Amino acid sequence: MPVVNLSIWGGYPEIAPVYQRAADAYQQAHPNVKVTVLTTDLRDYERKLAASLPSDTAGNVLEVEASTVERYLEAGLIPKAPADLAQFVRSRSFNKSAQDAASLASDVYGVPWFAGVGALYYNTDMFKEAGLSGPPKTMDELMAFAKKLVRTDAQGRVARSGISLRLFGAGSGVAEKFAILMWPRGGELLTRSAPGKYRAGYDNDAGRATMKMHLDAVFVDKIDSLDIKHDAEAFELGQTAMFERESWVIGDIQKNAPTLKYLTAPIPRDKRWGTILGVVSLYVSRSAANPEVAWDFVKFLTQPQFERQLLGDVGWIPLRQDVNLDPVFAKSPQYKAFLVKDKDYVYWSMPSIKDFDEIETKLASRLVAAYRDRTLAGNPAAIASMLHAAAEETNGILKRDGLYGE
Amino acid sequence: MGSTASNGSKPRPLGRAQRKWRWPPPRVTAGHTPLLLGASRSTLARYGFCYLMLAFPALLFIVFRIVPIAETLRLSVLNWDLISATKPFVGLDNFRALLQDPNFLLALSNTTTFAAVTVTASVLLALLVALPLARRVRWEGLYQLFYFLPFVAPTVPEAVAWKWICDTRNGLLNYLLSLVGVGPVPWLIEPRATLWAVMIMSVWKTLGYNMVLFIVGLRAIPAEYTEAGLIDGAAGWRLFRHITLPLLMPTVLLITVISTISAYNVFTQVYVLASDIQGSPAGLARVLIYDIFENAFRFYRMGYASAEATIFFVIVLCLTLAQFRVLRSQTE
Repeated sequence: MPVVNLSIWGGYPEIAPVYQRAADAYQQAHPNVKVTVLTTDLRDYERKLAASLPSDTAGNVLEVEASTVERYLEAGLIPKAPADLAQFVRSRSFNKSAQDAASLASDVYGVPWFAGVGALYYNTDMFKEAGLSGPPKTMDELMAFAKKLVRTDAQGRVARSGISLRLFGAGSGVAEKFAILMWPRGGELLTRSAPGKYRAGYDNDAGRATMKMHLDAVFVDKIDSLDIKHDAEAFELGQTAMFERESWVIGDIQKNAPTLKYLTAPIPRDKRWGTILGVVSLYVSRSAANPEVAWDFVKFLTQPQFERQLLGDVGWIPLRQDVNLDPVFAKSPQYKAFLVKDKDYVYWSMPSIKDFDEIETKLASRLVAAYRDRTLAGNPAAIASMLHAAAEETNGILKRDGLYGE
Repeated sequence: MGSTASNGSKPRPLGRAQRKWRWPPPRVTAGHTPLLLGASRSTLARYGFCYLMLAFPALLFIVFRIVPIAETLRLSVLNWDLISATKPFVGLDNFRALLQDPNFLLALSNTTTFAAVTVTASVLLALLVALPLARRVRWEGLYQLFYFLPFVAPTVPEAVAWKWICDTRNGLLNYLLSLVGVGPVPWLIEPRATLWAVMIMSVWKTLGYNMVLFIVGLRAIPAEYTEAGLIDGAAGWRLFRHITLPLLMPTVLLITVISTISAYNVFTQVYVLASDIQGSPAGLARVLIYDIFENAFRFYRMGYASAEATIFFVIVLCLTLAQFRVLRSQTE
């Protein structure tokens, strides 16, 4: 039997063990197939994809985010999924958001694999200490709780933040976290005005309220500070009481801070209730020498045991909704807040357009500057002006590429 | 200053005429057939090996330097996203858009500030350090190692160490400043302070390299000149100003040109110090290479990034030529 080489490429190195286990099992069942797994840092991986897909030198099975895949689909660099896989994707195994993310128009190109879903992490010991019995349910409660949870040192500086907001950092994450806290108030980074047409969706009351919330947190209420540790690192070190992040942090805490007492909760509600869903699907490249083997491996990989490993061992949310994840929930109840089964809780996604990363990154740059600008705090006109200028830049990018719609 | 050198005639630095390339080459004498660029058969036979050895690096230079520059110039007038098969011609649109792009203008301003400050500071400080070390002081090697080590060490771990040094609450820099009554500076929080943090680190890193070049330049100055100056009563600052510095100008020119080119190419320390996820102002300390990198490999705007690279190339070329012109006129 001829040897078939199959390469799996991904941008999430923490998932490599799951791929490797699936590869070992697949090779056992198909001794003539040799599977190699290559995962690198996400940004490097995206650059690698951009260089290798057009030159037909990419791996066979590719893990690609919905927000970046469209350009490859439109350029014909990633072919459609075969009929049986397309039928599997359209089945009840996946929800509508996941199906849409792996499709372009009415054609299915990939198999939804996992998602980055946001939820609120909170330290239960600190909550108990502050006399708080449960997580915040509304956005107002979120900030009120943070005020009770913050701790300052002898000089009045924030020693432990009440909530760790994303105030700085490279790239688009700052804008994404802003959007997650803005969405319940009715705002979004991009509003779809017509099919394929968008405009900035944050130059409004929701955007201004979210901006005010960040500035008040730093300069008025002093529940967060620019010169302390942030995000997962701060949470694991007990230097913040709350923060919003994806489910992978649970796996990280198991590794780095196994004694930490914490729970997770859905994102607090305001006018609406929901969280972000960033879908990552598996595709087969145009250059795959044996596409039928590649698709067979994709199908093999989406079996329940690997989906459970993906959640339980790594911490990413698997997208097959017909897989029983109770064994994982029993072991780590923190995962439950990422899979809220409530009809009012919306899993929303960012639009899959080629300019999105540029829009998010440039907005993030402006947000980072604004979060440092003391003069904006308590100045609604300045906040409005800052957001308006940012929205003009966003709309300018959309206009440049013919994606703008009033 | 009417002194003479030991052989009785006043030694003169080489003039432009003696150093200039001669073109066209001298006419060949009868019996020698010109073959290649005026070279005769016998010259070719004699220097064939040299031509061969020069041809290989020249080929590498063309392939890895000239061709990419030419390709960048070509891409700068196209619109290409790295993926599309088509690359529509857009004329000067990319250049026009750049001149209205706040990120590019910020990067240009930051890079120019960075280059002006770091080149001035690293040249002056290196000269200050090199002057005593050129006299072969005790522990000279140890001092040279101390200053040179940051230059040879990899930039990334150095930048990580500087991140700790620049920490607002627990950093060494703020501790040292507190000893002279200066309050905590948010080095990696405020964009302007971040640029200064990067500049301080860059001066610290390049100081040793410039110092070594200056030591070599200072030691190459014939002793007769300084001796003559001393006999004529010049000492200290006057000796340095009128004897040492003019003779050191070729070294100053070399160091200034190298430092300017290197300063405009700054990237790693900015990337590590000022764009990490924890505690730094992301793109606000952006420099040109960072901006080119972001446009090309994050936003996939290859034509736009190429236009930016073209402007960058022209700026560095003009600055280098200007430096050659200004400083060379002082060396002659």
